[in-house]
Amino acid sequence: MRRWIEANAWTLGLAVLLAVLLLATKVIQPGFGATGLDSLARAALPFALATVGMAVVVIAGGIDLSVAAMMAVASVTGAVLMAGAGDGQALLAVIAVLALGIAMGTVNGVLIVVTRVPDIVVTLAMLFVWQGVALLILNAPGGGAAPWLRAMSAGGVALPGLPQGLTDWLPRGVVFLAVVTALIWVPIRRSKLGLRLYAIGSDPLAAFRSGVPVGQTRIAAYAICGLFAALGGLSVTMSTGIGEPIPGPYLLASVAAVVLGGVVLGGGRGGILGPILAVFILRTVRMDLTMLSVDPNVAAIIEGTIMVAVVMFGAILATRGRKA
Amino acid sequence: MKTLLLGTALTLGLAGMASAEGYKIGISNTVQGNGWREEMVCAMKAEALASGKVESLNIAHRNTDAAGQLEDIRNLIQAGVQAIVVNPANAEGINTAVKEATDAGIVVVAVDQAVTEPSAYILSNNQEQYAYLGAKWLFEQMGGKGAVVYMRGAAGAGADNDRDKGFKRAMAEFPDITVAQEVFTGWQQDQGKQQINDIIAAGVPFQGVWTSGIDNVIVDAFVESGAPMVPIVGADNAGFVGQLSSVEGLQGAAVTNPGSVGGAGVALAIQILEGKAPAEKTVLVDPELWENVTEEGKAKLAAAANPNLSPEWPVSVSVPGWTTYTMDQIIACKGPGE
Repeated sequence: MRRWIEANAWTLGLAVLLAVLLLATKVIQPGFGATGLDSLARAALPFALATVGMAVVVIAGGIDLSVAAMMAVASVTGAVLMAGAGDGQALLAVIAVLALGIAMGTVNGVLIVVTRVPDIVVTLAMLFVWQGVALLILNAPGGGAAPWLRAMSAGGVALPGLPQGLTDWLPRGVVFLAVVTALIWVPIRRSKLGLRLYAIGSDPLAAFRSGVPVGQTRIAAYAICGLFAALGGLSVTMSTGIGEPIPGPYLLASVAAVVLGGVVLGGGRGGILGPILAVFILRTVRMDLTMLSVDPNVAAIIEGTIMVAVVMFGAILATRGRKA
Repeated sequence: MKTLLLGTALTLGLAGMASAEGYKIGISNTVQGNGWREEMVCAMKAEALASGKVESLNIAHRNTDAAGQLEDIRNLIQAGVQAIVVNPANAEGINTAVKEATDAGIVVVAVDQAVTEPSAYILSNNQEQYAYLGAKWLFEQMGGKGAVVYMRGAAGAGADNDRDKGFKRAMAEFPDITVAQEVFTGWQQDQGKQQINDIIAAGVPFQGVWTSGIDNVIVDAFVESGAPMVPIVGADNAGFVGQLSSVEGLQGAAVTNPGSVGGAGVALAIQILEGKAPAEKTVLVDPELWENVTEEGKAKLAAAANPNLSPEWPVSVSVPGWTTYTMDQIIACKGPGE
């Protein structure tokens, strides 16, 4: 038990921080309740999916600067394919978009592995490529989304066997996020691939000498990131009902959440839950600042300061822990 | 001790909020650092202050997409505002949150651009008329014939689509006018300047330029390249209005597109909260045209010019019949409680 707590101290700390923030929200706005949690979950969904994708790549020792641009491509592709389509066709469109995400990520990964150009350069270049692709597909916001898809992230859930009063408090956005992340990440984490991702992140040379196919694993990491970016893009289309070709503010936000979530930028250490909690923390801070009607320009400064403070505080705790 | 102090401060703060009177109004805007939008936000603050009926403004003002604006609007709903004045990122993308707000009994007023959600009120500059007025004046200046450079705004933007309708309406009235070049400036100064430089350098013959508000850099391009000046139509940005009286040989007209429409939106929201809802859900503010070829027009331009304004701000800092603040109040850019 004690070892488990120690191993997950950072994530637990973030969970406590989130709980404190939600309590603070309740103090600021006594009316904060189920609908508030629901809107928080809906706002967090695209950020969380982008962050999970980024976290996988960072754990594997890389970085993907094209994540927001890939989301835009996925969003407009989904919106164009779904505009005026029936439910069945929309399902095919979703599958196509997810495949497209994997394909885009694979392109990123292959370019990095084959050309040996640093990942930060390749994905920066691909950021522009995917931005152009998104504008080619749709030069202005438009398209549509299937109603069943839009309903998937809105409102509470009805889970069998649980009282309605309790499930009302569980936003569908959170369930959606938990289900897709678990479906994709848990099997990978438990397989050889999961171990390899961490291995190439900690020490690519050692991993190579232990027989890990470094190149293939790296490509896989980017493909997984592409898949989550596609899910993130779809979640934007789910919430707005349209596709937007100009990428949203997801790139820097995802890097921030990955760092705040306890993933080491050099790779090899960290998990997925921490970054997801970090996303919710950052969204709650934004919500509280809006509720307190803080000057919007000051709000951005406060958000940044909180981030630095938390990471620094955590680093101090970690050094102390090691000494003791 | 610290917690005690913090707790006391928080309680006092909350008590302070509860005891004050007046409306609580939310603002949502998704473009930061653009002169027009900054004037809009300042007009909102000034009107809230001048009305004396607004206790606090919750302003969500950042660069984001429609999904981010959904988040902002929902946060404003959570903040318990009674009205939300929004400059929509997109006509359809924010409908779900707008519907949630109106379902919760919150008055929603979309300013500058429309939303398709029918429960919202819309207060917007009449963009079709904006383009029609300027284009008609330009075509008359050109003697009803010749080629015009058509410098549009951002592809796919609602305002650009409406302006295109007005431009086409004027074109239909002047059959001998043709379009020499049609480009999208994206409402970006640098992009527009590059485009006009290319057009001048390419030697395409044209007798007039219509711009969607990227105007002063176009005049600059003519001055710098020494190309013969042609009539130019722009918006009432302080820089262009200044050029209309100072640049030699320039014939042109500024069509008003007040960013202060944001203040009018706040005024409309207050009216609705007081039970005086307008008969129509859409209210259009009609533009005016100020040209520099007649004495009357020159007088209007001189009256509008204001050296105290930031050069990127539109000079029409108020909307007659709607806004009640003074010039000093909008320049100060302070809302209630600031």
